[in-house]
Amino acid sequence: MRAVSNELAFTFCLLLAGGLLVPALAQQNASIPAPPPAYTPLPNGVAPVKDTPTQREALEKWKIKAETMVEEERHQYNALVTPSYNYRFGQNNPYSPGNITVEGNGFLQPESFPSAEYCGTCHQEAFSQWRQALHSNSFRTPFYRTSVNLLINDKTRGIAYSRHCDSCHNPIGVLSGALTEDSKVDRSEFDSDGLTCMTCHSVISVDSTNGNGNVKMGVPSVIVDEKGERIPGIVPFDMILKHPERHSKAVMHDFLHTPEFCSACHKANLPASLNNYKFIRAFTTYDEWQQSKFAQRNPLTFYTAEFTTCQNCHMKRNANALPDYGAKNGTFASHRWLAGNTAVPYYYGFDEQLNKTIEFLRAGNYLNVDIFALRKADSVPLIAPLGKVSFILFPSEDIEAFVVVQNKNIGHSLIPEVRDLYEAWLEFIVKDASGKEVYHSGFLKPDGMLDTRTHSFTNRPVNDQGEFVDNHKVWTIHSVAYDNTVQAGRSVLVRYRFRLPADAQGTYTVTARVNYRHFRQSYLDNVLGKDHPAYPVVEVAAKTRVLKIGENHPETEDPADNPEWMRWNNLGIALLDQFQYQESIQAFANVVKLRPSYADGYINIGLTDLVWEKFESARKAIRKALALDPKSARAIYYDGLLQRRAGNTERELSDFRTVVEMFPQSRDARRELGIFYYRQHEYDLAVEQFEALQMIDPDDLAAHYNLSILYRRMGKPKKAAEQQSMFSDKKADPGAPTYSLDYLHAHPEITIESIPWHLHSDQ
Amino acid sequence: MHLSMWSMASTILAIGLLGSPGLCRAANNCPWINEATVSGLLGGMATTTITETGANGTIICEFTQQSGSFKRVFRLTMEVTSEAHAKLVSLASSCRTDALPLRAIGNEALACTITDLKSGQGERVIGRVRDQLFTIVIYTTLKNDPSFTRETVKTRIDTAAELVAGNLF
Repeated sequence: MRAVSNELAFTFCLLLAGGLLVPALAQQNASIPAPPPAYTPLPNGVAPVKDTPTQREALEKWKIKAETMVEEERHQYNALVTPSYNYRFGQNNPYSPGNITVEGNGFLQPESFPSAEYCGTCHQEAFSQWRQALHSNSFRTPFYRTSVNLLINDKTRGIAYSRHCDSCHNPIGVLSGALTEDSKVDRSEFDSDGLTCMTCHSVISVDSTNGNGNVKMGVPSVIVDEKGERIPGIVPFDMILKHPERHSKAVMHDFLHTPEFCSACHKANLPASLNNYKFIRAFTTYDEWQQSKFAQRNPLTFYTAEFTTCQNCHMKRNANALPDYGAKNGTFASHRWLAGNTAVPYYYGFDEQLNKTIEFLRAGNYLNVDIFALRKADSVPLIAPLGKVSFILFPSEDIEAFVVVQNKNIGHSLIPEVRDLYEAWLEFIVKDASGKEVYHSGFLKPDGMLDTRTHSFTNRPVNDQGEFVDNHKVWTIHSVAYDNTVQAGRSVLVRYRFRLPADAQGTYTVTARVNYRHFRQSYLDNVLGKDHPAYPVVEVAAKTRVLKIGENHPETEDPADNPEWMRWNNLGIALLDQFQYQESIQAFANVVKLRPSYADGYINIGLTDLVWEKFESARKAIRKALALDPKSARAIYYDGLLQRRAGNTERELSDFRTVVEMFPQSRDARRELGIFYYRQHEYDLAVEQFEALQMIDPDDLAAHYNLSILYRRMGKPKKAAEQQSMFSDKKADPGAPTYSLDYLHAHPEITIESIPWHLHSDQ
Repeated sequence: MHLSMWSMASTILAIGLLGSPGLCRAANNCPWINEATVSGLLGGMATTTITETGANGTIICEFTQQSGSFKRVFRLTMEVTSEAHAKLVSLASSCRTDALPLRAIGNEALACTITDLKSGQGERVIGRVRDQLFTIVIYTTLKNDPSFTRETVKTRIDTAAELVAGNLF
């Protein structure tokens, strides 16, 4: 045991004898603590009570004692843990390959983090929600453990490498130095709690958006003194209840409300120190949000929306059912962080979390599914938009159905993270009036596996042998054979061909639905073996249309459908992303026909022409857009590109400067303005733009490339070398596509998924 | 737990600052749970013995905390078998009365009280992760061990089972 003062050692022994040191062991369904201590909040506008001189003196003594003891504890703890710790990445990088850091010197003893039960005494609503949420189960779930155990047991890597994952999944394990071969650390109290209250609420800064757990953890503190200085360790509840404002100052930093805080763990990359290869992006949920309409930082989005943060969607305020002194006006910001994971609550039997997750997935108007058009075989004209036009169907006809799936209101892509594990797909069914299937794509086979020919919104990472990385061994990923996500605000077109029966008559129902499952069946099999129960499949959005053999007439509009102009617009966006430029422009032409004053309709035409390198047509469309809306930053940006093309440098500069003024966090505008200055040999101004761009996106390749040249020319070789190194590391490996090709050659059944313009058919 | 501010201040501080099971000296030889963790669960420093038995490669990690005339023991038995589920059911039949299913421990797990101790008390968990079958036994030889009540041991063995199963995934 340690050397401690006699007085405190005596107290310690008394507590031990009284059984008070029994670990507060987490359980699957930890019981709610006893009623909280009595507390009456101060009326609004009433200043908190000031300490009396005696109280101030007592608090000062407490603080000194707490600081001394925590420091002494930490010193002794480090003396025990450090000698056998595996400093695989150097003495100065004890937490690498993760990006987490900690205040002060050395490892932080796990006991310095107050338990969730301590917090839950006064925050019962938060505690009960958190216990069922993904954050509290971030480490212990079989789905995570299976993956991280592969890394721990990897012959050339081992547990030191798991600090990469555990910086987010088990930060106390990382910061306490528990993740080493010969661990001296008792893990019984923190493994089960994952991201406990006092991990998030002890973070003292988020200095970049690099992800991989990029936060600085403070020595946990639940209160500050009158001067605002943090007092480490737990304190009696009276102390907090007398000065809730001091408690709040210790644990509720403003950055907790920002998307940048979430970026620490909802953005990840695979660094060379992990994969012995190179930087590979893992997931970029934060960046996706930043580029979405909800961030209001990107002028180039197809649609606009109110500013909405991660917290606005995933921590919505609800009436609290249990006492919680953090509630405001009877509501509390949800600590369930509802999102898409149904597997974890299903495994633990957290029915409330599971039901609320399903409700969340279905309730948000997040996706729009539109059975937009039909095309008869070998016939060019589209029958579109369905519901608005008349047409005739005959038996034996080959029909092509156009289904447009719009990522309408998700602030990130579908699927945002670990796209190789989660599974969202489009199911498409055609049935006759008796319910007999004429065509079915996207079904689950009896073994639970998804039909291989399904259109899924997943990806297929492959290793250097051209094999699918089926079990999430992310450190082996070298390439991605295909990635069929739908980015925020964009749409995807999925085409199906089916044949109406020769004896077709009456009506046929056509249904398209987006299903979601945590996890892919083969991953569930990896984790649990094949004898596990079926995991939930949630229908997120769907659309059904009835087709008649014979004449079909326009129908009454479904209030859930997008307006007609938007339906065309979404088709145009999807066709643009599938490189069908002519058809895309035709779709956008219908938008401006239906909505002649809609500047974005013309911008979309201009953008498509620009990508198609039809610059004159693009200029015409952008000019029209600017005539309709001279202040459209989106139109001005594309005008800037066209002015550059025409050699009008003054107009180009004016355009990009205007966009940067309107949207200072626009990556694209900063990049183009930087390139403009670079080409004009205005190096200082160019550097200013590229440095600003790196503050927005630390991984922007153009910024790395240009800064490496600019710094060198400006006599800053060290900074130039740093940028050059980052550029080389982050730039895609030109040899990587061969791994993808190997995989696709070996799997012809899904090769079409790697081609944006493809057709699903049984024929 | 509601404590008045200053009278219990040092008590709270001591819990926060001194309740450090993480400081147990440990050798980490058992692949599924380390000595420091078991020492924390047993409530004192434990020593480890690892034994491999039989042709099927069954491994037993036994941790003993000797405390004067009595001892507290944590024993983990692990084997890989294609008949893991059937064996689990068979082992469960040795629980005389109260084998309770444990939710969310491995693929499946059961807990029961050890009834054949000459003195003292203990608990047993039998669990499975895919084809890996494990049994954990925690017991004390002290009759009415004050810090080893049935409820306490149940909580501790649940935690241990989760940690072990986690490492078997």
